[in-house]
Amino acid sequence: MEIKHVNEANFVQEVVESDIPVLVDFYADWCGPCKMLSPTIEKIAKESNQYKVVKINADESNRLLSRYNVASIPTLIVFQAGKEVNRSVGLVPKEQIVKMLAV
Amino acid sequence: MSERYDIAIIGSGPAGLSAAINARVRKKNFILFGSQNFSEKLLKAHEINNYLGLYGKSGKEMAEAFENHLKAMDIQITEEKVTNIYPMEDSYSLLTNEGMYEADTVILTTGVHFGKPLEGEKEFLGKGVSYCATCDAMFYKEKTAAVIGYGKSDEKEAEFLADVAQKVYYIPMYQDEVSMKESIEVIRDAVVEIAGSDHVEKLVLKGQEIIVDGVFLLRESVAADQLVPGLVMEDNHVLVDRKMQTNLPGCFAAGDLTGQPYQYIKAAGEGNVAALSAVNFLDSRK
Repeated sequence: MEIKHVNEANFVQEVVESDIPVLVDFYADWCGPCKMLSPTIEKIAKESNQYKVVKINADESNRLLSRYNVASIPTLIVFQAGKEVNRSVGLVPKEQIVKMLAV
Repeated sequence: MSERYDIAIIGSGPAGLSAAINARVRKKNFILFGSQNFSEKLLKAHEINNYLGLYGKSGKEMAEAFENHLKAMDIQITEEKVTNIYPMEDSYSLLTNEGMYEADTVILTTGVHFGKPLEGEKEFLGKGVSYCATCDAMFYKEKTAAVIGYGKSDEKEAEFLADVAQKVYYIPMYQDEVSMKESIEVIRDAVVEIAGSDHVEKLVLKGQEIIVDGVFLLRESVAADQLVPGLVMEDNHVLVDRKMQTNLPGCFAAGDLTGQPYQYIKAAGEGNVAALSAVNFLDSRK
């Protein structure tokens, strides 16, 4: 599936109300490790239709950061039925991200 | 992204230098990250008597011999701190304090650090514990943070953070004098633990507790499995086979990092093996 860019305006609709698990990638344009992680996230998005992948720009979504206690990027959070089920901080190997999605 | 290297060597102790020499002999396009001083540990060595051909040399004299060797083979050291190495599909991407690099293979020779993680460090990683002030400063716009600095160069990162955060404490883990802007409060004390509930709430020192929203740990070098996500360790050392191959294809390790004995000639020998294994790996892909 294509990666969608999500912000405070469409977060509920795209993430909380999603029927399938959602991998959320909190990133920023100035963050080096986020850039390194990006191709892997894109690959994971393309691999399956069982989940969806969205990106949230940390600079534009302050309220989401504090709501979900994100204090470091990149942070990945897997949501299922509107709830956080898994989280990783920093660079993590692809296999681990795929595992996080197997909920 | 700049040019793609055949081999990226991380570390300029005997293992890294030896790997570089062999990469040069085998005409590979490589980059060597480290320090012009090679290794602090080497410079401090009093006398080394078991390095073949260099009897009775001090660490300093040995470093001079290494320097001449590098000069003769026209090998340069890139003085950048590698902070992250991430495995891509068929290469590695490397992030330094100054930029991004790409290499087909990586040889890790970053030595051993005996420092254990702080109490609470792992638990609160990403929940107030951070290793990079320039990455995460923006999360502290109206907040208070403590920076634990391990060297003079960390003072700059603390100042960067102080430009953004409301209040910054600086706890130096070294003896040298600290010179920073006045808004930063310097506390000389030993760290006991990082504490909180679902997020960092305080930094407990021996003599006092400070209420903070975050703690930045600016260690000189990070543990190998933190540097390379997914790397398998065994008892604080990187697990390698006889070819110095780690569990990640194309990623090799050599020197103290792979285990005892912590000896210069063992490190140099492993650097040689790692470089030749990297060359074989590259050639087998063509």
